[in-house]
Amino acid sequence: MNIPIRMIGIATTFFWIFLIIFAVSALYSVKDVRFDFGEPQINPTSDNELLFSLPIIIENTGYYNIGFFNVTTEIWDEEGSPIMRGTTFTPVIKKYDRITITHNMTIEVDDLLQNYQDYLFNDVELRINAIVGMSVAEVIPVQAVANLSAFWGAPLYDFRLGGIDLTVYNSTHLRAVVPIGFENHAFFDLVGNMQLRMYNSTDSLLSEGETLIEAWHGSPYSGSVELYVSAAGATANGRFEMYFANPFFTIGPVVVPYG
Amino acid sequence: MADTDGGFTKNLRKFTFRALKATIKGALFYAFYFVLWMFLAPFSELIPGLQQMVETFVIVYIILMVIGELASDTIFQYFFNAAKALFVISYFVLSLNGGIFGMTFENVSLTIDIRLFLVVAMLLGLLGFAKSVIQAVNYMNTRAEYKSL
Repeated sequence: MNIPIRMIGIATTFFWIFLIIFAVSALYSVKDVRFDFGEPQINPTSDNELLFSLPIIIENTGYYNIGFFNVTTEIWDEEGSPIMRGTTFTPVIKKYDRITITHNMTIEVDDLLQNYQDYLFNDVELRINAIVGMSVAEVIPVQAVANLSAFWGAPLYDFRLGGIDLTVYNSTHLRAVVPIGFENHAFFDLVGNMQLRMYNSTDSLLSEGETLIEAWHGSPYSGSVELYVSAAGATANGRFEMYFANPFFTIGPVVVPYG
Repeated sequence: MADTDGGFTKNLRKFTFRALKATIKGALFYAFYFVLWMFLAPFSELIPGLQQMVETFVIVYIILMVIGELASDTIFQYFFNAAKALFVISYFVLSLNGGIFGMTFENVSLTIDIRLFLVVAMLLGLLGFAKSVIQAVNYMNTRAEYKSL
């Protein structure tokens, strides 16, 4: 009876020592894992979407491999509705290895602005939920969750149509110049075609005109659209319908009354 | 008289040997803890209460180990060993919060899932407890056999 008991004792002691040394060294080796973030980049894709790329450099100089490394980013609006989500997964980061992974998120600006037209004209504070998970020594799951906020700059912030400058063009038509102004607060440049349709008070289309918009990100824009309006149909009040198309999104009609 | 003196000397020698063994075991365990703490020390600033938690465990464990050693060759040795095993299990379960360890720094919350470690530790604790029970049974059995002879 003594020998089996002694063997149990030896085995238990051995496993205890192994378990404690493993746990402590695994925890200690986390100290030697370094994360570095590269310069984030935003590029258009072939599908006219915006691709947000964040390079993450991971240097594992610890004693063990890191398994199941994943980065998930979720972006929510102020009301808690999800806007986009991106996940990057790396199965194993071997010890003494240095790797660079790129965390990508595709932003479908067109869908976003179709669903949330408010983002077109107003700056919004977005909530970002960043989750970084990994398995230390491939067996101890560790997860870090960071709640951040990000600024969404409206591409047509403070959009306005100025007072119409009417001049006689010929005996039947008037020449109307409509000033356009806005500030591009978006993180991308805005290059596209803006079309204005002018309706009188009886909802008859009087005229339409278009102009090329080139507004660099973070800068104000002011320009104008020329319209040739039939003098017979012109009324003191009515409405404009604005349409805007660029590689990333198409919007319209945005109704702006006049008079 | 000579027999009593001889018995006393024998008992004293036995007790001294046990005390020496307990001291050596305690010192070795403390040295083991001391070496491990050098690796854990950087985390004590990040995890509040870690040092206190580990120190309490080490103190109670060493006390139970020393008492168990001093009470060796008696049934109480196995009681203390069983108490030590149960203490290890309950302390791990309570102090490690069921195996999910969470902490928050500013707006970052960190979660460490050490349930696997906890399960293995509990199994080893149960094995130690079972060993103590078997040892106690074996001790009583041996004594009964000795008496019957």
